[in-house]
Amino acid sequence: MNQKTVRRLPIYIALILLALVSVVPFVWMLATSFKNGPDVYTQVPQLLPLDKKTGEWNPTLGNYEYVFTISGLGTAFWNSVWITCVLVPVKLLIDALAAYAFARIPFPGRDKIFVLMLAGMMVPTITLLVPRLHVTQVLGVYDSPWGIILPNVASVLDIFLMRQFFRTLPVELEEAARIDGAGRMAIFWRVILPLSKPVLAVVTITSFIFHWNDLVWPLIVLNSPDFYTLPLALQQLASTESGRAYYIMAGAALAVVPVMIVLLIFQRRIMQGIAFSGLKS
Amino acid sequence: MIRRVTGAAAAAVLLAGLAACGGGSEEGGAGSATELTYWMFQDRTPQAGEVVEKIRTDFEKANPGVKVNIVKIPKDDYNTKLGSALAGNTVPDVGILDQPLVSRFAQEGTIKEVPAGTLNEADFWEGALNTNKVGGKLYGFPIDHTAVALFYNKALVPTPPKTWDELKSISAGIHQKDPKVAGIVVPKGDGYGAWMWPGVVGGNGGQMVDEANKKILFDQPQAVEALQLWVDLLPSSPREITDSDQAFANGLAGMMISGPWDVATIKDQFPDLDFSVAPLPYKTTPAGNIGGENAVVFTKGKNEALAWKWLQHLTNATNNTTLAQALGGFPVNKEAAERDAATFGEQQQAFLEQLKVAQARPAIPQWIQINDEIIAPALESALSGKMTAQESLTDAANKTRALLGWNS
Amino acid sequence: MASPVVAQRPAETPPGPGRRRRPGVGRRDHLIGWLLIAPALVYFIIFLLYPALAALYYSFTEWDLHSAPIWVGLQNYTDLFFDDVKYPHFWKSIQVTLQYTLVAVPLTLIAALGQALLINAIRRGSNLFRLLLFLPVVTAEAAVGAIWRWLYDPQYGLVNAVLGLVGIPRQNWLNTPELVIPALAFIAAWQCGISMIIYLAGLKSIPESIREAAVIDGAGPVQRFFKVIVPMLRPTTFYLVVTGIIAALQVFGLVYVIFSGGGNRSVTGGPEQSGLAYVLHIYLYAFRYNAMGAACAMSFILLVFIMIITFVQFKFMKQEAS
Repeated sequence: MNQKTVRRLPIYIALILLALVSVVPFVWMLATSFKNGPDVYTQVPQLLPLDKKTGEWNPTLGNYEYVFTISGLGTAFWNSVWITCVLVPVKLLIDALAAYAFARIPFPGRDKIFVLMLAGMMVPTITLLVPRLHVTQVLGVYDSPWGIILPNVASVLDIFLMRQFFRTLPVELEEAARIDGAGRMAIFWRVILPLSKPVLAVVTITSFIFHWNDLVWPLIVLNSPDFYTLPLALQQLASTESGRAYYIMAGAALAVVPVMIVLLIFQRRIMQGIAFSGLKS
Repeated sequence: MIRRVTGAAAAAVLLAGLAACGGGSEEGGAGSATELTYWMFQDRTPQAGEVVEKIRTDFEKANPGVKVNIVKIPKDDYNTKLGSALAGNTVPDVGILDQPLVSRFAQEGTIKEVPAGTLNEADFWEGALNTNKVGGKLYGFPIDHTAVALFYNKALVPTPPKTWDELKSISAGIHQKDPKVAGIVVPKGDGYGAWMWPGVVGGNGGQMVDEANKKILFDQPQAVEALQLWVDLLPSSPREITDSDQAFANGLAGMMISGPWDVATIKDQFPDLDFSVAPLPYKTTPAGNIGGENAVVFTKGKNEALAWKWLQHLTNATNNTTLAQALGGFPVNKEAAERDAATFGEQQQAFLEQLKVAQARPAIPQWIQINDEIIAPALESALSGKMTAQESLTDAANKTRALLGWNS
Repeated sequence: MASPVVAQRPAETPPGPGRRRRPGVGRRDHLIGWLLIAPALVYFIIFLLYPALAALYYSFTEWDLHSAPIWVGLQNYTDLFFDDVKYPHFWKSIQVTLQYTLVAVPLTLIAALGQALLINAIRRGSNLFRLLLFLPVVTAEAAVGAIWRWLYDPQYGLVNAVLGLVGIPRQNWLNTPELVIPALAFIAAWQCGISMIIYLAGLKSIPESIREAAVIDGAGPVQRFFKVIVPMLRPTTFYLVVTGIIAALQVFGLVYVIFSGGGNRSVTGGPEQSGLAYVLHIYLYAFRYNAMGAACAMSFILLVFIMIITFVQFKFMKQEAS
């Protein structure tokens, strides 16, 4: 045991160094976000919020106050919260229903449609942006939160993942429920979904992270700052001439911290999910 | 069974419902007859937001039954957003328009010509007014105007340079005294640098283009020397110092070129910095480039008469000073400007000086693209030493000629 | 991205033909099936199929968004390839993107494999390290760009401070053309967590017996790595290379945030266009210069590229399987 630990010591040292590279940028982000303007700019990096001249303890919440109220990241934060909270469940439902049909209900043309959808996944997002913009304008949802929700309300990848999972469930369970007189939908709700918690969790969490972080589509479809999502508001903050490191890092922290919390809570599911989807494909 | 199926199809219904609901609210907004949608750049400060709000409520009080809906968009993305809005039917009725776009939109018929009698030309500063003219016709209102000038750190630069030679020697002196400090933040070969550079060319008596005779002039000696000035400043102003965040505010650069908006933010956040602002140094002729905002009325928009009325309201003698200051510039209404000149503060005087000699950007529809894709890279290749100033500008001028189909 | 391959194996479809013929069930099942996929199908047609076809049409037009598209045939394509006045940076953006892909993909995979091997070698704390190394993955592009812009600051950046400790002189990372690609690739490698997890799963799936057999044969750790682990991980590596290339060719958000902004930065793609990723170039033409037709043409060139890569992958997988 002891000898084994000694042999593993270099491995642990290497891992600790790698973990530092991974984590320090976030620590630095937080450290900067609590400093007063001039204190941020020191030639020797200073982790703690100390006054540049006197060296006294001099932290501030002012940067958060500024980005939250004046730069509009507060509004953007709540927009992101409600948009993700509406989008993710609706998307999950649409995808799960389709995945179930693709996995279990035979009907003519089903596999052709499925292959066509999968082929559609190859098309790069950038190709779709201009016509999608047009579609949102025709639907009258351009420059509104629905303009973000509708074009994201289903996902071929998620349908694919769920279909693969549904197909691993034993058909006998369904047969048994059917003999008890349950219809397709009853089977879906009472048999399939309860058994599919792992894949549902994975899809929910990855969807949440993806839509919480998405920058490109909101950048194109939104005009009014009232509707901005957090990544968009952060990008705007970082790009204006009033953007300074201490404000920008406070804004980045607002975007990063909620996702980190989700990751901490659901880490096992996420890791399993990635391994599952990665190996499946 | 069938009931359950209907339940399952809820998603489809929901989809349709979302679309309908989104659509409904859009139409409701545009449909009401007395609503005016105005697009502007996002506020620089919270105080600016209050100023705009007051001007809006004043207008609504003076015009009962009218509601002005203000949409604020960050400057960087404004053109992008406007482009996509114009593609659909969510066009604003009236809004700010980037100066080079005025000529392009006028030619395309995207914006309306200012009707006779709507604007009295004698009330406005000519330079600002001219940025709205295309082929002699007026297509917009100037809202405010601004210019960039030379910020200098008083501890490092006791008296600001007036000429290019003084600029070079002061910059060299600063860096020689302390190698950790740069003389001046030299603009870069990017869109912003290319926007400022014509002011430097003007300082040497040069011009970018001769629109009337379709001639490109930025490969002429005056312009080449202007670019050479920036190249010459680089050894005493290393990029690795000036590229850092807030180099001037931190005292790492003796001088920088920026606009009036930076005065307040630096004072507020770096109270220890002792700085002032002077007009740009020049070689033969004092010059600078004019910035600022124009507002236009869109052809696809509604309520045209009201839109012009709103622009008159923004630029009248009562409102123009406060509005312009909120936008980070100066009033374009002569009466307002002359009346309030004394209140602008010491640092702002330099910008006013600069404005007197500032020149508008060429009114060429493709100017933004030329600025970003041709001039900016040309500046960069000279500044990085890949080419001489003459080589890179000759190359850029040829590309511009080819793009515009001009012969000389 | 590899999914079409799986989809085209009809043998996997479980419901047997017998069940399909059960009287009464069939027709009702058809209806239910169609109803269940209806929302997803509507979405697919409106937001994927139609946009893809429309983009193809627009790529043959000159279109500025506000007036009607004008049919120009193949002119956008020929101009992109041959007219360096109209599109001065088209080739540069391809060059930048290929360079980025060539540096970022191997760097990411090496980092991911290294991390996976290390984590696989320990028991205690492996979950913690896995979590910490995964953190950068879930971070929004906008935040990643903002954070690294600050870390790469030439005067106050942590990167220069740390490198200074080992005697490497201060660099102006994001403003020196030669350093832009390495700086961006490092960020990509910093975000290698997904590849790391997939490698880890691949390592766990190597049967213990094979490893033990190698030990008995007297293979040292280095030999074991090259003779056992690398060959066993070949399919995983191949999958990660393909998805990595496809992702790297489409890099956008990061460069957009890093090189956007007023003040002394601009969206035109970094110093001397050294960060002008292909998708950023498309974005600029589409939404900054309103040249929608050309932008759609560029995006179709990208699509063809990606299809070729996917096709090669498909061929390879088939070969591997047989």
